[in-house]
Amino acid sequence: MWLISIRDLQFRRRRFSIAVAATALVFAMTLLMAGVSASLHNEPRRITDVIGADSWIVAKGTAGPFTAATVVPADAAAAIAAAPGVETADPLVILHSAMREPVDRDVNVIGYRIGGLGAPPLTAGRRPRAPGEVVADSLLGLELGDGLAAGGQQFEVVGIGDGITYYFGTATIFVPLEDAQAMGFSGKPLATTIVTAGRASSPPQGLDALGPAEVRADLERPLASGTQSIDFISVLLWFTAAGIIGSIIYLSALDRTRDFAVLKATGAPNRSLMIGLALQAIVLSVASAALAIVLAQVLAPAFPFSVEIPLRSYVYLFLIAASVGLVASLAGLRRAVGVDPALAFGGA
Amino acid sequence: MNGLHIAGLTIEYSSGDYVVRPIDGLNLSVPPGELVLLLGPSGCGKTTLLSVLAGILKAHSGSVRFNEINVGALKERALTDYRRATVGVVFQAFNLIPSLTAVENVAVPLLAAKVPTSKARARAEALLREVGLADRLTHKPAGLSGGQQQRVAIARALAHDPPLVLADEPTAHLDYIQVEGILRLLRELAAAGRTVIVATHDERLLPLADRIVELAPKGTSKPRPPEHLVVGRGDIIFRQGEAGDLIFIVWRGEVELVRARGDNSELVVDRVGPGRYFGELAPIFGLPRSATAHATTDAVVTGYTPKDFRRQMGSPSMADMIIGADLQPLDHEPTGTGRIGQESS
Repeated sequence: MWLISIRDLQFRRRRFSIAVAATALVFAMTLLMAGVSASLHNEPRRITDVIGADSWIVAKGTAGPFTAATVVPADAAAAIAAAPGVETADPLVILHSAMREPVDRDVNVIGYRIGGLGAPPLTAGRRPRAPGEVVADSLLGLELGDGLAAGGQQFEVVGIGDGITYYFGTATIFVPLEDAQAMGFSGKPLATTIVTAGRASSPPQGLDALGPAEVRADLERPLASGTQSIDFISVLLWFTAAGIIGSIIYLSALDRTRDFAVLKATGAPNRSLMIGLALQAIVLSVASAALAIVLAQVLAPAFPFSVEIPLRSYVYLFLIAASVGLVASLAGLRRAVGVDPALAFGGA
Repeated sequence: MNGLHIAGLTIEYSSGDYVVRPIDGLNLSVPPGELVLLLGPSGCGKTTLLSVLAGILKAHSGSVRFNEINVGALKERALTDYRRATVGVVFQAFNLIPSLTAVENVAVPLLAAKVPTSKARARAEALLREVGLADRLTHKPAGLSGGQQQRVAIARALAHDPPLVLADEPTAHLDYIQVEGILRLLRELAAAGRTVIVATHDERLLPLADRIVELAPKGTSKPRPPEHLVVGRGDIIFRQGEAGDLIFIVWRGEVELVRARGDNSELVVDRVGPGRYFGELAPIFGLPRSATAHATTDAVVTGYTPKDFRRQMGSPSMADMIIGADLQPLDHEPTGTGRIGQESS
């Protein structure tokens, strides 16, 4: 009986095309939401990987270096480096600042010791060799040699990094430690954290040692409400898609009441009618999902946020879309099953 | 005992808040190869009877047997099989599926029975050739004339080569040229050994039939003397659903008109006292009685044919009679002492 369903799709192709377009837009939004959510989850991992530390030494009681305003003496790094199990230890300053030139924009600032841990990966240029030099994320749209003013300091862009963001896609700049201390601590020899390669068996007195996982968890905490909101919107979008598909299938069932009555009167079992309608819903959903993937690719670059759609989201999209289609078609299925075959005997 | 055998069939259903019994105690036997015409006006139960024969509606009582199959005793799955394999239905409005081509429409019952697509298509094409539509196989219903659509509907009804074919008003939407072809086709169906039941209100189809069954109860239109009745309390003058050919004037006592409701209760339609009349619409329009009339007191009534009634009431217009205008009889109560069922002396 699939023939009837396919022919009906062709017969009402305009209506189904509109439904596919609308549903695809909704599915594309869910993909973009999934991409934003994934991006928010990826940022903490990416920034901790960039720093590459095995442990992050912070003032005792501090939740994490990215969220707390506590400091440690920068010269504590020497003592920490001397501890058994520690290969190297370097002070790191982590700030949030405003870039004033060439445009006003919030930036994350990471100050690291030249040649030490925390050096940024590059897509162009080189790393800073002296104060006043900066590596900027490509998101800022700067070129090598451009000037940059932030936190009262003037910098020259000598390197470009890519995808180094955190705190909802805020771009990061990497500056020499001294410049960061000047920006955040009036030049005092302080650091937000001491990062180490290798781990000491116990942290120095008055300090805590955090692992990369704890740092990531600390960084994700402020994002929790944001990601929950996105997940909630995604659920609403699934319901919206289900509503569109459900209403189209229900309308189709309404339009075909007489057809169903005739089919029943000529001996078609209910099961055949249900399979036919369910097939329509699945075709509609899967076609929408396929179009949604294209739409998401087109829309993602225009989205004002980092969108990283995971591969599994595409797979899930098809599975969930088919499920949504089936669930959404229940009202239509119920309608088809409930049709009285005696209706076939009615006049025109 | 091949063929169709209907015994004591009564079909009853609720329509709104009252009960309709379009078929009441029907007996009919139709052997294979015979074409029977169910004749009657709209609402007389033709389509309802076809629905019961097709296994779509359940009868209130009585039995329908076809080739030893007791249709009323079939359960859901067996009914589906019966509809598919035993009965072919030609619907009044063709009821073709608009998204399918002619050949696909004919193939649908076969596909529903899980016949392989290639076989179903070959059978559908052969049937369409038989009904003269070899050049319209890939046309959709919108591209076919009424007669061609009806031919497709007939071909569809024959998809499983059913021994019983039911046709509901098969000429209702056709012009006279298209009607000719369809009549010939229906006749050929019976000639092939099938039992064919055709429901129609079109009396032009009468020569088509081996037998005619008139479903509407008909009163006599012959002249007859007035029927003078002396009735006791509770006596019934006529019953709902009966044919009616007399209009009654009440001379003494009171008569109540009650209509059976769907919940087995009764709705009092009217109470008629001396000088008033009742039961006028059934004889005027040839309809069954729509209510039961019984005396609520000892009463005297006289039944007149519509013609005599008009004379008795001073020749009012038909419109006044139909709307129940306040008419008074010219004459006084006839003399006589008959009990119910007895004519006046």
